[in-house]
Amino acid sequence: MTGVVLSLALTGCLQDPNPRAGGTGGGEGIAQGGSTDGDKVVTVLGAFGGDEAVGFRESLAKFEAESGIKVEYNNSTDFTTIIKARVRSGDTPDIAIFPQPGGLIELVNEDQIQAVDTYLNYDEINSTLIPGFLDAARVNGRVYGAPMRMAVKSIVWYPESYKATGKPTEFASVQEMQKVGEELSADGTTPWCVGFESGPGTGWPGTDWIEELVLRMWGPDVYDQWTSHKIPFNDERIVQSFEEMDKLLLADGTSYGGRKGILATAFGDAMNPAFESPAKCYWMRQGNFISGFFPKPVQAELDTAVGTTVFPPFEGGFPGQPILGGGDIAALFNGDDPDAIEVMKFMTSDKFGGEWAKKGGWLSPHKTFDGSNYPDETTRSIAEMAANADVFRYDGSDLMPNAVGGGTFWSGMVDFTSGAKTAQQVADDIEKSWPQ
Amino acid sequence: MSAATVAASGPPTTDKAQTAADPKRILVGAVTMIAVGWFIGNGFLALAYYPQWFAVGMPVFDKIIQALLAMVLGIGGAVLFFYCMNVFVEGLPGRLGQFLMPYAWILPGYFTIGLLLLYPAIQTVNYSLANEDSTAYVTPIYKNFQDVFADEGFTRTIGNNLLWLLIVPATTVVIGLLVAVLADRLSPKGESISKAMMFMPMAISFVGASTIWGFIYDYQSGDTQIGLLNAIVTAVGGEAQSWLTIDRFALNSMLLMVIVVWLQVGYAMVLLSTAIKNVPEDTLEAARIDGASELKIFFLVVIPQMKGTIITVFVTVFIMVMKIFDIVYVMTNGNFKTNVIANMFFQELFVQRNAGKASAIVVILLIAVIPVLIYQVRHFKREEAER
Repeated sequence: MTGVVLSLALTGCLQDPNPRAGGTGGGEGIAQGGSTDGDKVVTVLGAFGGDEAVGFRESLAKFEAESGIKVEYNNSTDFTTIIKARVRSGDTPDIAIFPQPGGLIELVNEDQIQAVDTYLNYDEINSTLIPGFLDAARVNGRVYGAPMRMAVKSIVWYPESYKATGKPTEFASVQEMQKVGEELSADGTTPWCVGFESGPGTGWPGTDWIEELVLRMWGPDVYDQWTSHKIPFNDERIVQSFEEMDKLLLADGTSYGGRKGILATAFGDAMNPAFESPAKCYWMRQGNFISGFFPKPVQAELDTAVGTTVFPPFEGGFPGQPILGGGDIAALFNGDDPDAIEVMKFMTSDKFGGEWAKKGGWLSPHKTFDGSNYPDETTRSIAEMAANADVFRYDGSDLMPNAVGGGTFWSGMVDFTSGAKTAQQVADDIEKSWPQ
Repeated sequence: MSAATVAASGPPTTDKAQTAADPKRILVGAVTMIAVGWFIGNGFLALAYYPQWFAVGMPVFDKIIQALLAMVLGIGGAVLFFYCMNVFVEGLPGRLGQFLMPYAWILPGYFTIGLLLLYPAIQTVNYSLANEDSTAYVTPIYKNFQDVFADEGFTRTIGNNLLWLLIVPATTVVIGLLVAVLADRLSPKGESISKAMMFMPMAISFVGASTIWGFIYDYQSGDTQIGLLNAIVTAVGGEAQSWLTIDRFALNSMLLMVIVVWLQVGYAMVLLSTAIKNVPEDTLEAARIDGASELKIFFLVVIPQMKGTIITVFVTVFIMVMKIFDIVYVMTNGNFKTNVIANMFFQELFVQRNAGKASAIVVILLIAVIPVLIYQVRHFKREEAER
């Protein structure tokens, strides 16, 4: 008797009314996640929220009105974990926008993501994108995601007062900067404004420096081998890049506050001494996002208060101008849904983003994007820097496993900057921590 | 039903021990028990899957309504479930029913503790022998422990934890005791004001306290210092320091310990102050009549009589310090040789994503805490026996 009741009780349980509606097989795509195909609703999951999500929605409004497709955007600050969990429970969105390529590549290996060549005109977007962008999402020769937004890191910022020194505002090489830096130092002002402090994330701004130098000194091929661990982290060349950073930033009189100052200064405050009068330091190398951290009066008149120039190549290294950066990559989970494909086509084209660009804080990864949409001259010049790049590479610490790129590489930069460990010791330690 | 309640409230008699099984009660009890269980389960599923069934269209009220429903369902359901279970067990033949009754009532409690405490603990030990995503055991089976002990950072981390354990609980108790004794001598108003001042930091979270002390230890490049400590040091002619990066003599670790002491002294003081007030006045008087000095009275009369409270405070702070995490994570994230076990565990699990090694670290921490727990339990038992 109890058995009957029990089985009734078990079968009588409520079921989740919103299980994976799923692309019903038969389509060409291998990736069949997402919501119902062809229902004119496309679900998108991303990491950015707030003002950025507003910009994203505004950029899609015209497209939605014209095509009749409704885009439902959801965001989570914990995107990296959420997307994995949703894939595991079969509840994927139609499209996901990955802030780092690592998570995307992981899901490609689980056959969850549609290759872009099956639905986008690969050659066309490749010709308008900044070279090297698509390589970030390449697995076994095929590309699985296309960039929707770009971040540029190889920018040198300097305050208005720097122009009065009469020193050059454009540099041919890192060595030239070093030389000019020595002159500035001799005149009584340290050239570099540097800050590596970032709470529990202290050290990450330092990883960018190593990446910039590896990319410039040894070229994109070695850079790719390094970030994908085809060469060990403690490769002789990488150690040399650490030593180069030591010469550039840690030697006496090169950066404001010296080793102690670098570790105690928050990355967002690093340039504040440059805006003092007289300026305490002049140059800061940091990504385009940093303008949001500048003091309010500086932000109010960004174009006149600061100048920007590209972080130059390394003499005797890679001959072209490399750019280090990042970007949000859109990937398609529902390869059978014509609506989702339409959204992908639009989102990854150079037509997307005008409204967002006007709001600020957004850069198009396309060389052909209409620059007049950007709100100020500074943003335009940064977009131009990226467009003129010979090679674009993703921030290496985002490509490395989290254990390194979000762990030992950071703490390694702290130990290296404080002088607790030598370049060789730091590189050895990071290599040891690389997951097998 | 009413018959059942009467029987349940009646005193057990030898007569009842021989009662035969009551199939009707067994049946009614079992069926209602399962029905209630089914209803509660599905009720919660309905709240999760179909929130619109319990909505009036105003989001604020919807949440309140659903929360109240969940409470009624949870508490009311549990009461009803136990009642039906009682009916069921009483229906069983006399001896069996009597034998099962206490277990029937206590087992759900044991089950919950087992599910929420024992099971995770055992699983952690289990995972400490497994690989980074807990899918297979490692070879050799103790590899994670081997790795942890081979890690040169681990020895330093253990050393740091030992330092924390040596310094923080003792300092907290001593300062707490000092404040309690001195405050005891103040006027009632002065006492309550000074105690309130000392107790206030208790209301601040560890992360909040870290932010406050971050300003005290702050260091800026150049000549303008905004940190309090650097202001004092430069005022007396010293040179401004980047305090949290100085690992000589573990100075930075000590500076972090100061924060915990600052937070915990209030707690120690309140308990110790009560203990001091509980020391019988006549023992003090007797000592005074015998001509003992105040210092002697304090150490030979007062302290022995509040030893129990001192130990309790010490052990509580001791265990808290063993698990110290927030302050280290926020202030230095273990950089500059300040790492502690809990932060190392966090890094291993959430940064390195190695569940095996992380579990191994936790197991080591667990084993290290056990002697303290045993001491604490023994101490409590002794206290009970003395009463």
